[in-house]
Amino acid sequence: MLVVGKSVGRVDSLDKVLGKPIYTMDIVPENALYLKVVRSTVAHALLKRVDLSEARTYPGVVAVVTAQDIPGINESTALLPDKPLFATDRVRFAGEPIAAIAAYDPSIAEEAVDLVKIEYEPLPSVFSPIDAMKPGAPQIHEKGNVAKYLKVRKGNVEEGFKQADLIVEATYKTPFQDPVPLEPEAGFVIPEPDGSVTCVGSIQSPYHVQTGIAKILSLRPEQVRVIQAATGGAFGPKSDEIPVDVLGMAALVAVRTGKPAALSYTREESMIGHTKRHPFVISVKVGVKKNGKLTAWETKLVADTGAYASLGPLVVIRACFHATGPYVIPNVKTDAYCVYTNNTMAGSFRGFGGPQSHFAAESHIDEIAKKLGMDPLDLRVMNMLRPGTLTATSQMVDEGCGLEECVKKATAEADWYNQRRKFQGMNGTKKRGLGIAIMYHGNSLGPEGNDFATVHMEIDSEGKIRVRTALTEYGTGAPSGLLQIAAETMHLPLEYFTLDASDTEYCGDSGPTVASRTITIGGRATQMVAGKLGQKLREIAAAMLKCSADEVESNEGVFTSKSAHSVAFRDVVANAYSRGISLKESSTFTAPKCDYDPETSQGTVYLQYTYAAVTAEVEVDTETGRVQVLKMVAAYDVGKAINPISVEGQIEGGTIQGLGYALMEDMIHKNGVVVNPNLGDYYVPTSLDIPEIKTIIVEYPGRLGPFGAKAIGEPPIVLPAPAIVNAIDNAIGVRINEIPATPDRVLTSLRTAIQASGKR
Amino acid sequence: MSKHLLKFSVNGKDYAVVVESHERLLDVLRDKLGLKGTKEGCSTGDCGICGVLMDGKLVNSCLIFAIQARNKKIVTIEGIGSAEKLHPIQRAFMKWNAAQCGYCIPAMILASKDLLEKNPNPTTEDIKNATRGIICRCTGYVKIFEAVKTAASEMRGSE
Amino acid sequence: MFVPENLGDLLQYLDSHQAGVHLIANGTDLINRIQRRQVSPKVLVDLTGLTEFKYVKWEGGMIKIGGLTTISELIASPFIDSRYDVFREVAMKFGGPSIINMATVGGNICSASSSEDLLPVLLVLDAEVQVRNIHGVRTLRVEDFVKGKRMTDLKPNEILVETSFREIDSHSACSFEKIGMRNSLIIAFVNCAVFLKLAENKMCDEIRIAFNRVNGKIPQRARQTEKIMKGKKLNEQSLSDAVATLRNELKLTSDFRASEEYRLEVACVIFKRTVSRCIDRLAGEEILV
Repeated sequence: MLVVGKSVGRVDSLDKVLGKPIYTMDIVPENALYLKVVRSTVAHALLKRVDLSEARTYPGVVAVVTAQDIPGINESTALLPDKPLFATDRVRFAGEPIAAIAAYDPSIAEEAVDLVKIEYEPLPSVFSPIDAMKPGAPQIHEKGNVAKYLKVRKGNVEEGFKQADLIVEATYKTPFQDPVPLEPEAGFVIPEPDGSVTCVGSIQSPYHVQTGIAKILSLRPEQVRVIQAATGGAFGPKSDEIPVDVLGMAALVAVRTGKPAALSYTREESMIGHTKRHPFVISVKVGVKKNGKLTAWETKLVADTGAYASLGPLVVIRACFHATGPYVIPNVKTDAYCVYTNNTMAGSFRGFGGPQSHFAAESHIDEIAKKLGMDPLDLRVMNMLRPGTLTATSQMVDEGCGLEECVKKATAEADWYNQRRKFQGMNGTKKRGLGIAIMYHGNSLGPEGNDFATVHMEIDSEGKIRVRTALTEYGTGAPSGLLQIAAETMHLPLEYFTLDASDTEYCGDSGPTVASRTITIGGRATQMVAGKLGQKLREIAAAMLKCSADEVESNEGVFTSKSAHSVAFRDVVANAYSRGISLKESSTFTAPKCDYDPETSQGTVYLQYTYAAVTAEVEVDTETGRVQVLKMVAAYDVGKAINPISVEGQIEGGTIQGLGYALMEDMIHKNGVVVNPNLGDYYVPTSLDIPEIKTIIVEYPGRLGPFGAKAIGEPPIVLPAPAIVNAIDNAIGVRINEIPATPDRVLTSLRTAIQASGKR
Repeated sequence: MSKHLLKFSVNGKDYAVVVESHERLLDVLRDKLGLKGTKEGCSTGDCGICGVLMDGKLVNSCLIFAIQARNKKIVTIEGIGSAEKLHPIQRAFMKWNAAQCGYCIPAMILASKDLLEKNPNPTTEDIKNATRGIICRCTGYVKIFEAVKTAASEMRGSE
Repeated sequence: MFVPENLGDLLQYLDSHQAGVHLIANGTDLINRIQRRQVSPKVLVDLTGLTEFKYVKWEGGMIKIGGLTTISELIASPFIDSRYDVFREVAMKFGGPSIINMATVGGNICSASSSEDLLPVLLVLDAEVQVRNIHGVRTLRVEDFVKGKRMTDLKPNEILVETSFREIDSHSACSFEKIGMRNSLIIAFVNCAVFLKLAENKMCDEIRIAFNRVNGKIPQRARQTEKIMKGKKLNEQSLSDAVATLRNELKLTSDFRASEEYRLEVACVIFKRTVSRCIDRLAGEEILV
């Protein structure tokens, strides 16, 4: 191939290494107002009185906006219509926006926030999703506390448990993990003379923002232009309601005052106000025969979605379908609940239910292996999905399943059996262990929504091939990959292509930039539009070469006919322009709908799967509980690596985010108030915390993505936690059921285990 | 809050700017000098992406009052290379696709420059230590370390 | 903001403006709190121009460090040789290069907080501070200077100009360890500094031990444990006895970072490790930071 499969540079690198002003707060217009948000300090209360009078008259304050200033609908949501932009009579989480204050000097707006007096009448609150499901629990929303329930039913688990020789039960818990994009949420709105607005922001999904702002301002969608500025990391919250919160508040001020209005969250505000990973409580009961064959798998997943559902229902769907891990199990019963509490909001975050499910499933497989006296790798190999087998939703695994190769390669690189044997014999206070975890990850939206993408291409008069899409770049490098796909399809040099900004003015709706769908779905649309444009160029060249279009070959920017006459790309373009032929095309690719039974969830729930196996080698200091991860091997079946070095970058980045999830990340809430909303008390891994990482790319082409490409944006965050926790168990013989496996948790578990064994 | 005349040099150019007593160096660089390359990530000195070189030393510009930069020589990312003439570190970062979202990159490049000027042949350990105060959330650091090694090699080779 | 050009101007100013004045060396702690509107100082006094207070010197058997010396400058000083690697141990765990390039010794002491790693080390070195006002100089022990959380004995018209301690001789060693959630940029669950002076036969001539918290919210010496170790030969048994005393002496608390039980357990562990490192240093073996 020409350029697909090659490690080439990204289109956005140059501006980034030069420090060019391309991010939202770098390009705020000169005369803009700056907003600061008034937020609730109490988790659940009626707002008896909100006194903004002193704030309104504070010198320098230009505008104060509340729900009463909303011309349209007071709503800023991701999915369910449960969340207002501004609270009116009631707040449901500590940090909920109540009003916004605007001034030319942001510190004046901030001082004015301190002058707002709020009288709360506390309501009974609930902070545990398990408690929130009990009868008599405080009701957070009218329709009750369960925002979503769904189930999987395959075969008959009661029969399955009867067939089992051993039944293993356990409960696992995961925390709120904050995405920590290095750029906090930001946006500004320019009110246009014709009554429309232009919104610029740190955004994943421009059309979601357009719909949301139009609703708030009571405008038609065409009157709301949304432009994504360069975005300093996203990972999920910038695709949910948060950009609508930010731009909605700014838009109200802009429209009221006729001036541009900007809002940039502080880190603290970002950590309190944006969506984060759902904490889950997962109870697992598995039946297995003494030879290791799994007979039945029963799971109850309870997710804490916080005060508002955000995309919680979809997270729970994905968690539900992946609850058993990538194994062949004849009898499956899964019940999944998305539950409201008065904690801060949980929503989209890379992995989207996959990390939680796999933490439970992969920890549990190791426990089963331990009780059977089997090597946990062997147990996995015996039961894992292979082409021709059925998943938990009775979907047939097709030939595009590289799980076995991932497992083989990862464990060979990690020297699985030898290392574990070696570690068993180690003495001293520092113990080493080797653990493994494997996964599957349904690609793109699957059951989560309409899965389509639109890509446009236009060759400008200078001969630059401009690729435009509302699928956004926020660090993944995926949009650059679209250029590679276009270049490959048209057989033209990559340098001819450029990526324009994601702007609703000229980019059609492509759905949200989430679920790692840019390459899979966006890539298919790119192939289509590039195919059309390429065909057009060949037709023009053919006319110039006086032959038929199918006789024309394109190579390195030269179009050649069978009779070896040729014409350069530039000349073809010039010719088209002189003849008034449009060199502009668009294509929309829509993925087939997933067909499954809504009652039992049996059927095709995703169109293709990414598979992976990750090992982790750890050293546990048994005197302090500190865990160092020394080495990780990460083998991913990506179908086709469009840009291998970018794929490695995604694997490495996700692996370290997963390591953070395993060992140190926890947004701690006390009575609904976030205790550590800053980077000094919320720990993300630093350069000194990373292990040696060996990435292995495996390619078993899938049926959905271009060239067989599969999703790789999200999967790498899923497996580090169970792999590391399994390694800890291998090192010190202790199962940590709740992450993060902080030094306190590890040491306490170790002491408890030692005491317990001492008592016997 | 009082006003002061701040005289200092940024990227080799002398400036005289009126600043308020509580203004941070970060804000003066971004808002008064229009140098947007230096970023704000946390305001508490915990992420390092506001890093600039002050008299040759890496510092967090969100933790320095602007007036404390008087008579000092500041270097920001804008003072490192240009599109026409990239610094070897920038070239290396591009080669390794080390910039994903890009937000930590200015600080990482300045920290690398600081390191390589003092230690032209750093080990991976040295690079980790030099960057231990800067958080990257996207890359897992791996390609950043590779880029610094490549830059070091190129910079040694051209002597 | 008042920016004094010389010491005389500074002392004059402090003497005549006493209320609501905040001294800043580099503002790292304060600028944060101003941003969060936790404090609203009327006037800031920027000390960074008084470069005469950046020094490390040896004088009459004492190491003397100027209050405005940064942690980076401290560990780069030729006077801070391998006997004083304890400062490098602190610097590595203190924060990244950008933090230690700014944080000053004086600023650290005056922060008077359990998250300031320099304090336990200065406590075990029996360090003194010299403070000045327009009328003159006074010297007091660091221990007496740091009175409580964010509370020092610094009077409104005074500045801290120097800290000093007796040099570490060939029979003595000093070491520091810190345990936190990750390997960099951490607020300690617990940290420990030990100064050990050995006589023949591993007999403990003198030992000074400090932790980020002992009984309260500031770094302090664990004097009961010191007392029980003095004059004893250092071996498994005496260390065990010391740990038993330490367990009773340390009155720690739980917070969202770690539980009391955990901190206590780990405090004992790093205490033993820090003592071992001191012994190894005296045996001539280099311990890598």
